[in-house]
Amino acid sequence: MNELAVLDVVLEDELRRDDSLVFLATSTPPEWRREFGEARIRTCAISEQAMVGAAVGAAMTGLRPVVDLNRASFSFLVMDQLVNHAARLHYLTDGGYRAPMVVTSATRGRQQLGPQNEQCPYGVFMQIPGIRVAVPGTAEDACALLRSAVRESGPVMLFIAPELARGANLRAALTAPPVPFGEAMLRHRGDAATVVAIGGAVRPAVEGVAALAAQGIDCDLIDPRTLVPLDVEALASSLRRTGRLVLVDDGPRSGAPAQILSALYDVPGLPEALGGRVAFVCAPDSPVPSTPALEQYTWPEPQAVAAAVRRLAEPRP
Amino acid sequence: MTVNRNPFPNGAEIGRNGFDLFSAYSCMALIREYEERVMELRTAGEVVGPVHPYIGQEAIAVGVCAALRAGDSIVSHYRGHGHALARGVSMDALTAELLGRKSGLCGGRAAALVSDPAVNLLLSSGIIGAGIPIAAGAAMTSQVRGSGDVAVVFLGDGGLGSGVVHETLLMATAQRLPLILVCEHNSYQGGTRSEEVYPDLDLTRIPLGHRMRTVSVDGNDVTAVHEAAAEAVAAARSGAGPTFVEARTYLTRFHLQFDKPSTERRPAAELAHWLDRDPLQLAHRRLLAAGTADEDLAAVARAAAERVAAAVAFARSAPWPAPSDVSTNVWAEKP
Repeated sequence: MNELAVLDVVLEDELRRDDSLVFLATSTPPEWRREFGEARIRTCAISEQAMVGAAVGAAMTGLRPVVDLNRASFSFLVMDQLVNHAARLHYLTDGGYRAPMVVTSATRGRQQLGPQNEQCPYGVFMQIPGIRVAVPGTAEDACALLRSAVRESGPVMLFIAPELARGANLRAALTAPPVPFGEAMLRHRGDAATVVAIGGAVRPAVEGVAALAAQGIDCDLIDPRTLVPLDVEALASSLRRTGRLVLVDDGPRSGAPAQILSALYDVPGLPEALGGRVAFVCAPDSPVPSTPALEQYTWPEPQAVAAAVRRLAEPRP
Repeated sequence: MTVNRNPFPNGAEIGRNGFDLFSAYSCMALIREYEERVMELRTAGEVVGPVHPYIGQEAIAVGVCAALRAGDSIVSHYRGHGHALARGVSMDALTAELLGRKSGLCGGRAAALVSDPAVNLLLSSGIIGAGIPIAAGAAMTSQVRGSGDVAVVFLGDGGLGSGVVHETLLMATAQRLPLILVCEHNSYQGGTRSEEVYPDLDLTRIPLGHRMRTVSVDGNDVTAVHEAAAEAVAAARSGAGPTFVEARTYLTRFHLQFDKPSTERRPAAELAHWLDRDPLQLAHRRLLAAGTADEDLAAVARAAAERVAAAVAFARSAPWPAPSDVSTNVWAEKP
């Protein structure tokens, strides 16, 4: 999990705590192999399907595998193992088997990896009942959610935005206790609008909301932290007060933002409370280009977040 | 050799008291009777989903499962009733599952794709090839725990077309996993014959290419299958790593049926050749030659019919799931 090195320290701590934890990756730290043994720390060929499939079987038979997929784009290689197997097994067996396992991967950063390897596919996994989806917005929450993920009772996808490493408070991250899945974090408070920001988009949303606050416009800024389960109640109660929703994500609107909006529209009274006052500040529905000359137009920028709030706040004609 | 004259002391399970041909024959006869009855029940609209008959391949499930102990895991696929019964699942619960009932092995959710934690039947995957890495994961657990248990996964010749199988062969060899792949080479993948889609039919060259110990065995000879499996299991338990067992056999009926039996037809001469080598007939002839009384063998068939009839009666009277069961157990509760 080299995109956020502090996660490795947390995982090492967890490997020491729980001897049922095993780690599968195409590259593993030699000191882990020495301390925990090669049975628990498995360096694998570049065989993501076999790795994730084996993790399912290991999880069913009593271990807690953590598979590092490196990039989130590789999750598409292992959809059969994740969707048809890991996510289905507890249901398929009517509770007979469970598959507690964690799959980690990096989403997108300013790394110019281009259309294939700069992706935020967590919206796809929101459509797969049986998989929990965590997308932390800070390094601290990344560590806390990793600790929670290795204690969960079923499969977890943990998506890490490489940008979380920038300016992270490492001491706070290392000591962060597990946080329960399904509890959103309120990062700013105000009645002008509800800004919901996901993963790597939390930072630009924080900046955009701070700029508005400096001008006397305060918004609720909510980081859901986990998309499955989603803290619908926290979002809904904020929206009943503000009546305005801005969804901010590094990924395309059709992914997690659309999923969140549909969950909110299923809450009685909420479509009426929103009255059409919904805005998206997301990546365009296009792949991410490599060249910075184009890539710069694919990020949710703080100014765009602020502009969206202002637009929704204007009186309607 | 002690011969157990009670053909089904604990249902269909095989191997708890070691291998003997009479018990193996009895278990094969039970699976054969079961498959015939399940196809009838599918035609009658009582069994849900498709039925993939195992008829003609019974010696493989029985010979392999007789080499296993309680802690071992098995992974099957959609043609899996034979594996499940040979491993010792409750025939009543299996049948209730096939009829979609609440008291089925999986609450009616799985139909033929059964699991049973009581006998470490992890999964009968509906996706070709997908069970192979899952069995490899169970083998990893054995290594981590130092239990000496093995994992067995059944696949057909069609499974070797799947990429994940090749990945897992390589991984299992490299990591010396206590894994046994049992390839039931029955000539067919779905309705397609393997020679239509493979460069040749020497399937053993594939695992050998992945540097895996590989043996080939007459899959219709239950004793030969058992011996090959026992050797592979012993190697895996001792830390010598995985084995690929090619068991040559034949799918004598058809790939699958829904509401009507399939109209698939086998080449007549080929079918005749294999029917003459039917695994039950082979064992029957051998038992007679060894002095087993004709009436003892006839009694096996009668007992099998009675056991299957009882399972069907149980399943028919089993309750349906409640409407609220549709979304239970999507998520596992914390232990």
